[in-house]
Amino acid sequence: MPAQIVGYALTLLFGVAIILVVAQAYFDLRPLMTQQTDVFKAHTVTVSKNITIFKTANKENIYFDERELGKLEEQEFVKDVAQFNSASFSTSAAISFGGQRMSTELFFESVPDRYLDVQSDEWVWDSTSDFLPVIIPEEYLSLYNFGFAESQSLPVVSEAMLSQVTFNIFVEGNGKSKVYDSRIVGLSGKINSILVPESFLLWANREFGAGDKNRSSRLLVEFNDATDERIPAFFEANGLNINQTELESGKLSFLFKIAMLFVFVIALTIVVLSIVFVVMSVNVIVQKNRSLFVNLYNIGYTSRQIARFYHLTISIVSVVVIVVAMVMAMWVRGLYVGKVDAVFSLSGGAWQLPLMAFVLAILLLVVYNYATSRIIRRLVGE
Amino acid sequence: MTIELNNIKPRYMSESEVSGSDIYLQPHVVFEQGKRYMVCAKSGHGKSSLLNFIYGTSNAYDGTIRFLEKEDGREREVERTQSFKVNVLSYMFQDLCLFPQLTALENVLLKNRLTNFKTDEEIRQMLASLLPPDKLGQSVATLSLGQRQRVAAVRAICQPFAFMLLDEPFSHVDKENACLLANMVMDEVARQGAGVIVTALDPVDQIATDVRMNL
Repeated sequence: MPAQIVGYALTLLFGVAIILVVAQAYFDLRPLMTQQTDVFKAHTVTVSKNITIFKTANKENIYFDERELGKLEEQEFVKDVAQFNSASFSTSAAISFGGQRMSTELFFESVPDRYLDVQSDEWVWDSTSDFLPVIIPEEYLSLYNFGFAESQSLPVVSEAMLSQVTFNIFVEGNGKSKVYDSRIVGLSGKINSILVPESFLLWANREFGAGDKNRSSRLLVEFNDATDERIPAFFEANGLNINQTELESGKLSFLFKIAMLFVFVIALTIVVLSIVFVVMSVNVIVQKNRSLFVNLYNIGYTSRQIARFYHLTISIVSVVVIVVAMVMAMWVRGLYVGKVDAVFSLSGGAWQLPLMAFVLAILLLVVYNYATSRIIRRLVGE
Repeated sequence: MTIELNNIKPRYMSESEVSGSDIYLQPHVVFEQGKRYMVCAKSGHGKSSLLNFIYGTSNAYDGTIRFLEKEDGREREVERTQSFKVNVLSYMFQDLCLFPQLTALENVLLKNRLTNFKTDEEIRQMLASLLPPDKLGQSVATLSLGQRQRVAAVRAICQPFAFMLLDEPFSHVDKENACLLANMVMDEVARQGAGVIVTALDPVDQIATDVRMNL
């Protein structure tokens, strides 16, 4: 028995430790994977038409028409298509700065809120409000801080500082004009445009714009499965330009999940084998000591009492092993958390680990209780 | 309590083999608590089988065995469970069923741990009166057959019982020791007001019996 118990303990330790590490890593890194993609939805890309020399002459060609939209939507791998709306009126922003007034021409676009990677309470607009929130690309700030400010000896600006600055936005068209108070409420790492709330843009295009037609030159396309091989082929054939990096991160997340699943299945196999091994060992031991157990039963011991010793031994060993495996998994987690934390702050502690270990322990105890009493019951012919 | 046998026959014996039996294939055989039954037969006639059927170690029989308890003047059937071996039936097996690795004392204590019927001191004294003093601490495997039989007898009385089943109990001991054993067991039987079913090749005179049956 001791040799079998040691063998069992080692295989179980190995299997459970891997299971716990993989499961915990999955829980820990899932937000990281989803954050990268989720904001920009699991498998979403920005699609625009390729700009060629012919299209520069006739600008109409860069817009998507109904037919092209329909064609895209009916593809099997496409889940959803959303449009970038652009403003069809002229806008400018002005800022007063120590008595000096600076002004610049602007453009606006909007996307459906669900595609936005910025969470802000201020991202609302209604027709009675004079406040207009704006989101600009993260790159604009980088461009200023690391390019412009550097070469012009100007101070650098943080995101928090930037969101404190208020400025005015002038909207003009159709012989009407309006002034809004405005602030930058967020920086988008994903959408390369100056964004205003969609409700504002739709209203303003009617109010100030050339017409009620909202034309789109860029689309947001969501795929069912970004790794679908037909996607690149389709876009290539239709002269469409897609943001490849988004697809890459989708692939990465997919590969990550597959790898996790693979390791998990192997670990699970190891655990199941160790269980089979220990149950078989008990069976062999019981058969070897057949007369002993039959005698015990004959003088009045119940099968439960006879099985108790083996059940207890295996249970104690299993629980100890699972606790050790949990400590090992904690330690391994410490190793990668240190590295991951440097680039991405992991939210929450590892509360899943003890929970999973607990569930696993309960499961094993139930299995062993059943298996040992069944072996003894069969032996004594109960 | 009474034990009632109806048309009992071992499955592995033919009808002609059990013909003329007072027990096998008889429609109504009753063993009453407080009475002593002697069941005689030659070897191979199913003496041990009968006791095994009653005790529950074998189920290879046709017919029914019922345990009836008198309650308010009415008889009520009681289902035989594993706990019968602890507080209703005591069985001195022919092959003794001792644990050879354990000592004489440990063998008895193992049973007594289930029943908590005697104190350790009482058990020690009973064994000391039956075995040479240096044998108490030796493993049962090193004891003679007669000595083992005494250990089994002590173990058999370490529990409350309504019936004592004795399977050729004195086959391995001399007449003098047989008397000693019989007295010890019968004292306990009388104290508990229990019934006895004892099997033997030939009628034994160490135990005074009320009913004699041929198998």
